Amino acid sequence: MSGSPPLPERLADGLRDAFARLVDWTRKTLRVARWETSRTADVFDRKTAGAALLAATLVGLFSVAALSTGGAGVALDENIYRVGIAPDSPYYDAVEESQPLAVHPPDESALRDGEIDALVSGNEIEHADSDRSRAAAAATRSAVQTYNDRRMLSEENRTAAYPVVVEIRYATRGDVSTRRGTSGESESAASTDSTADGASSASDSESSSAGSSDQQSGDGAAVADTGDDDSDGALAVPDIGGGGALFGGQSSGSPADIAPPFPFGSLVLAFAFLVPVNFVIQSYGSTMLNERINRRGELLLVAPLSPTSIVAGKTLPYALAILGVTTLIAVLVGGGPLSVAAVFPLALAYLAATFVGAMFARSFKELTFVTVALSVFITTYAFVPAIFTDVTPIALISPLTLVVRDLQGAAVSAGEYAFATGSFYFGSGVLFLLGVGVYREEDLFTQRAVPLKFLDALDSRLSGKRSVALLSALFIPFVFVAELLTVAVLFALPIQLSLPLLLASIAAVEEFAKSIHVYAGFAKNRFERSVSTAVVLGTFSAVGFFVGEKATAIIQLVDLPELALGEAAFATSGIPEVGATGALGLLFAPLLLHVVTASLTAIGASKNRLLYAASLVVAVAVHTFYNLAVVVAVA
Amino acid sequence: MIAVEDLRKEYGGFVAVEGSSFEVGDGEIFGVVGPNGAGKTTTLKMLAGLIEPTGGTATVAGYDADDPAMRSSLGFLPEESPLYEDMTPRSYLRFFADLYDVPREEATRRSEETLDRLELDHRERRLGDMSKGMKRKVAIARSLVNDPDVLIYDEPASGLDPLTTNYVLEFTRELAAAGKTVLFSAHNLYHVESVCDRVIIMNRGEIVARGTVPEIRERHGETTYHVFTTVPVEGSDRVDDGINGVDTSEERIDAPNERVDTSDGTARYRTVVAEMAAVERVRSEAESNGGAVVDIRTEEPSLEDLFLDIAGGPSTARGES
Repeated sequence: MSGSPPLPERLADGLRDAFARLVDWTRKTLRVARWETSRTADVFDRKTAGAALLAATLVGLFSVAALSTGGAGVALDENIYRVGIAPDSPYYDAVEESQPLAVHPPDESALRDGEIDALVSGNEIEHADSDRSRAAAAATRSAVQTYNDRRMLSEENRTAAYPVVVEIRYATRGDVSTRRGTSGESESAASTDSTADGASSASDSESSSAGSSDQQSGDGAAVADTGDDDSDGALAVPDIGGGGALFGGQSSGSPADIAPPFPFGSLVLAFAFLVPVNFVIQSYGSTMLNERINRRGELLLVAPLSPTSIVAGKTLPYALAILGVTTLIAVLVGGGPLSVAAVFPLALAYLAATFVGAMFARSFKELTFVTVALSVFITTYAFVPAIFTDVTPIALISPLTLVVRDLQGAAVSAGEYAFATGSFYFGSGVLFLLGVGVYREEDLFTQRAVPLKFLDALDSRLSGKRSVALLSALFIPFVFVAELLTVAVLFALPIQLSLPLLLASIAAVEEFAKSIHVYAGFAKNRFERSVSTAVVLGTFSAVGFFVGEKATAIIQLVDLPELALGEAAFATSGIPEVGATGALGLLFAPLLLHVVTASLTAIGASKNRLLYAASLVVAVAVHTFYNLAVVVAVA
Repeated sequence: MIAVEDLRKEYGGFVAVEGSSFEVGDGEIFGVVGPNGAGKTTTLKMLAGLIEPTGGTATVAGYDADDPAMRSSLGFLPEESPLYEDMTPRSYLRFFADLYDVPREEATRRSEETLDRLELDHRERRLGDMSKGMKRKVAIARSLVNDPDVLIYDEPASGLDPLTTNYVLEFTRELAAAGKTVLFSAHNLYHVESVCDRVIIMNRGEIVARGTVPEIRERHGETTYHVFTTVPVEGSDRVDDGINGVDTSEERIDAPNERVDTSDGTARYRTVVAEMAAVERVRSEAESNGGAVVDIRTEEPSLEDLFLDIAGGPSTARGES
């Protein structure tokens, strides 16, 4: 009896074939990568390469040396003021240890003659009638203050040194305004808070004390702890360095010394990871665009290689170069594998964006514009949230925050890593997918405006209604990033203003993501221009988006929903706590909304560009209204 | 070796190639001729697997044209083949040999042999520093690095000087003699006529004529007869006197305006007719007028004349010839 082979055999054959294809693909990709490396190396002569290496090494060493001085810099202000002081003066050590002050013999005539700038006489600081002399006196007073602070910090008897302990808690604007509403209530609320939270207050106090006694401990680790305790929605005390960041690096001091927590050193070091990436992507963008100039890449397309092999092979050397440089920087600045693992998805995003830019740009001039625009956007997106590493969990939208925390010695959970980097990995993958879609003769060498190329790239991934759903789902990382960015931008505004703005922005982002590829399909005559086709495509787009949207449940891994704005932004994507019926309703209500609005925009897209734009405006309005209703219902 | 059936390519609403069908046998040089925008390059690129057809089928060396496996059997030379200018001819050919899985020793031997045949020296010079002719030779060598069965050459002599052009044409003949199948496109119809075994003429995306050049001439061309008489007949022109040295015994000449021997002092009259029956009419009329027919010459159209006639006049292709 003849027939097809048994299932296990077919499965084994299938696996063998797939493995063989993978091996073949890898071999060819590595071959392209090897030649790309060789060609790139050939472009630079040895002298240029040597000079570049030397310059990079010098810059690196200088940066590390400057940062390793712990903010002391390169001592540009050393011995700029001459202070007359006797060796037996109680202030002698303070002046002697101060960097800007130079010790001179105490002599009033010298002060008059301008040979010294200030004179310490008993408990007084004398100065001449000049700006320089007055500045010298101020610097002397400051030096004494700093000296006293150091002495107090080294005092074993903490109670004697700091008899008053002040606990500082950051509160959201909403809480602050409520408490200021009526003074009686405010005090009552504050005291209720204290009472109700008595245990944790005590615990916080202990934590503060502990921080005081060990100012080197726990950079950041305490952030999560304190944040967890803040179930009332108030932001945690950023107990970085045991509260040290509040006092500019000290855990104790006067109220005047209180400064917002700002991880300056770690942030600058984290930024150092991004600098070489920007150089590498310039070279990468150039080599990718070079394939398009004068149809140079045509011969690779006619070789027995797939476009993915070509793109992967040409990208691999640059990705490895970034990985190597990142590892080197991590070693130099004291970062660990976490820093490298956090920077890598960021670097991938740079490469992916540059690749897409090179596929869309018509000239090197246009590529430069696209690359710089994307680079500024990604850098801003990565850098700005990282500034708030010690303040709010929203900082975790940036992988750079992980680097800062790594440099601070704080632990990062797998969930936090996934949250911070997931959208970068997925987003990069989707960008490469879109770029590879137009890496073919018909698109690679045509000169069209960037928006039209974007539509071409979307169209290249469309084949039927299922592909519409798939693309909608694949856009989720970008929607996620855009929504997080909106939250990051708006969270500092009063909630009354930021909430409506946020909901409208989110509606616009989502409606655009659900419809733009449908419009691309109609614009390229891929789909029949009829209302029924548009409704079907809109429905598929909505379903794909709805399924992908559920992926944003990843925010449950971090504390973002505890932010009022975070809750509002993602209320429709997570599982809200409104009971089983309500939950089911809120689970499927978004699907209904997506179907309605996506069908609306699809119908507009099936007509022409103007009607598409008009339908998009209407869809955004409907979506915003829905978002407001949900937020009100959940509240 | 190449079989094309009802091939079609449409860009948006624009039809670039419509219903092309032809076959090319082993070792044959097959020409594709047509004015700009006729669909020649699109056809060649569909066969090379670079452009996806909208309809129809194309097989090359036994593979579907869009099958990546086909590319190992294909040598493609685009009309413009900018090279990686920072590479040398040797490193460039090694790179492509590597992509085609050609073993290193074999690649070196094959590349050196081809470069020898193409008489290309300076094999370690940067390609960016080479002349256009030298670059074209490197591009041709690149198309042969995988020892393909099928060669698709799009304007291989485009922009080259006459010496290099003749060299390239001769080399193409050698490749066909060695058993390679060559699909050859050119604007210069003399090149096509001189090397191609068979030709298709394309216009506005469609094949408008096909066959060997004599077959096309027979089918689409018009043979004319130049009848020279000693007396005027209806429709004749007097031929200028005083021309020396033309052998009037020649029955056929290619140039119809060749002067006629009138050294005996007798006037000559020429009548151009399209049919042999008309020649007989001229003879009868001349004899009835007391004269005689002294010479009859036939004129056959060149491929260029046929092309211009078929493709719709000089404006479509003259500029590139």
